[in-house]
Amino acid sequence: MLQKLTTAITEMNEKEAVAIAEKLLNNGTEPLEVIEACQKAMEVIGRRFSAGECFIPELILAGDMMKQISEKAEPHLKQDVAVKKHGRVIIATVEGDIHDIGKNIVVSMLDANGFDVLDLGVDVPVAKIVETAKEFKPSVVGLSGLLTLAFDPMKAVVAALEEEGLRKNIKVMIGGGMIDEQVRQYTGADTFGANAMDAVIFAKKWTGGKQNVG
Amino acid sequence: MSDKTETELLYEAREKRFNDAVSLKKPDRVPIVSLTNFFLTRYGGITDKEAMYDYSKMREAWLASIKKLDWDFVPGIFTFFPGKVLEIMDSKALKWAGHGLGENILYQYIDKEYMLADEYDEFLDDPNGFVVTKFLPRVCGIFKPLGELLPIPWLASGYTAPVLGATLAGLPHYAEMMEKLIEAGKEMTAYNIHQAQLVQDAKEMGYPMTAGSYSVAPFDSISDFFRGLNGTMLDIYRRPDKLKAAVDYVAPHVTQFAINYAAMTGNPRVVIPLHRGSGAFMSDEQFAEFYWPGLKRLLLDLIDAGLTPIPFFEGDMTPRLKYLAQLPPGKVAGHFDIVDKKKFKEILGDKMVFWGDVPGSLLVTGKPQQIKDYVKALIDMFADTGGLIIDGAVEGVPPESKPENVEAMTEAVREYGVYQ
Ligand code: B12
Repeated sequence: MLQKLTTAITEMNEKEAVAIAEKLLNNGTEPLEVIEACQKAMEVIGRRFSAGECFIPELILAGDMMKQISEKAEPHLKQDVAVKKHGRVIIATVEGDIHDIGKNIVVSMLDANGFDVLDLGVDVPVAKIVETAKEFKPSVVGLSGLLTLAFDPMKAVVAALEEEGLRKNIKVMIGGGMIDEQVRQYTGADTFGANAMDAVIFAKKWTGGKQNVG
Repeated sequence: MSDKTETELLYEAREKRFNDAVSLKKPDRVPIVSLTNFFLTRYGGITDKEAMYDYSKMREAWLASIKKLDWDFVPGIFTFFPGKVLEIMDSKALKWAGHGLGENILYQYIDKEYMLADEYDEFLDDPNGFVVTKFLPRVCGIFKPLGELLPIPWLASGYTAPVLGATLAGLPHYAEMMEKLIEAGKEMTAYNIHQAQLVQDAKEMGYPMTAGSYSVAPFDSISDFFRGLNGTMLDIYRRPDKLKAAVDYVAPHVTQFAINYAAMTGNPRVVIPLHRGSGAFMSDEQFAEFYWPGLKRLLLDLIDAGLTPIPFFEGDMTPRLKYLAQLPPGKVAGHFDIVDKKKFKEILGDKMVFWGDVPGSLLVTGKPQQIKDYVKALIDMFADTGGLIIDGAVEGVPPESKPENVEAMTEAVREYGVYQ
């Protein structure tokens, strides 16, 4: 049944996936196992996306299925069992830019892949990102921006993290419509990603081994 | 001896240069035609906010920049909105300089479901009624009273129409809406006078305007404006037939709009920014099923009407080149963002001009020499057919571009772009 759930998600059979998940949960299957089956599906979809075998509609639909199922699983979760997280990531669209579609897909993919993600929203000032980084202690800060006006604020975030002595423990990744290697160099970020799966791949690489219990 | 003035001759020569490149005949020199917007006003010394609020400053800055850069065409002005009009109309879908954004920040659109998933039937049953009573109040605050209109046939009686119309107009909130509309109309007219003056001034300087009309792909019309990205991407799976029906409904209208607009301005070039059809958004099968039929029909109908479509292919179009090869050669002025240029040459090299491509990231963060090298490489690559027009990728030159980089792009054309 769990395998069937994974397949229903990867095959984009929304109704079937949700129905199977409901049945599993009502039959007393561990909710964590149900969520893991979803995460397995997300990994497959992520791989297909990176390989150019599926696209934005599939990412968004899969993310939505995962969300529906997680919400159904929530009440079944025992209080004392914590979901193991890969590591902490802060995501923000930088100051001046109010675009959130790309950022939201990145957040939902990181979330589906087991990261503890703090989403600061859009038009986020440099100082707020740095302050939050001090408290939340993420391993990765991801900055999103669709427009060229995002380049300078991204550069400012990297510089401010450096100044505060936080860069030793925090990797910075950037992404969004116009971001490329040229912009990575300009901003001083560690890497840039062309899509949401890149964000997952980098975050996994950088948090590899470390498992925070959230 | 011709009795044309020197500027008239210049105007014709510039138009011919562009048209030659589009029809893949070698012009005298590689044309440089940009579709930029706020770069020109910033380069002319004013902020984005000033550009949206002070129409004469905007026009002067625009012309000063044109004079300095001496490109072949003057960029169109569709992408400017008068800030005051947005304020009076109480735009809910935009944020702009001084209104939710800083003084020197490009205006931005809020992508949202302005039509909800369960409203497709209502839209398809009565598109005009839906737009008037549901859509407009959501995107412009002043149209809120329209949300209360009963179905329009209710007004349709020769006996009662006069008094019902007048009754509505007498209600305080309708009266207020109409007063504001009149105010917005006056403001828009003031703005339009400056725009018309700008076109005239440019002409007297010997420059054609890049475009005189505008349209959108039918799919984008539904996706950008009605259902949003999330909405349409889910609709592809959850309600594909309704999505297709809505796209089909708008198709003839986006064409007619563009034709009417071109007739009004007398300029045959139609700019069409394309959003959700690129390689990153959907699969080839989804493109073929949902996107391409409407776009193809739009492009062919515009060509039939004697117009030159300028599709801005935003995002990576490489996987779609094979579809573009179905279009008649030399008729479409394709403007490209990201594309595998080798594949382009292979598939479209003898069919479509290659316009754009100089990366925005380079114009904003690079050095003049990098830009020159980039442009030279483009010229070398396309010199065999002459099917090349220089500009930044898609939107053209981003507002944040370094002036010296844009100047370098311009110089490179004059330095390397003269055909032997
Ligand atoms: C759809 C679109 C629109 C739509 C909707 C925009 C919106 N508000 O959401 C509409 C029609 C409203 C629009 C309007 C305009 N647009 Co527009 N638009 C686009 C387009 C085609 C796609 C953007 C998009 O939604 N992508 C889909 C999402 C899912 O992708 P994404 O945000 O890039 O995110 C993905 C990756 O980048 C990555 N990612 C994102 N963040 C992060 C973060 C990290 C850490 C990592 C690793 C990865 C990552 O993962 C995401 C998922 O895979 C782009 C071109 C492009 N190809 O990007 C132009 C583009 C953004 N637009 C542009 C312009 C110029 C405009 C206008 C100004 C046009 C005009 N002159 O009027 C207006 C207004 C500005 C605005 N955007 O609001 C320019 C911006 C240029 C610039 N100077 O910055 C672009 C880049 C086109 C271009 N090349 O010229 N636009």
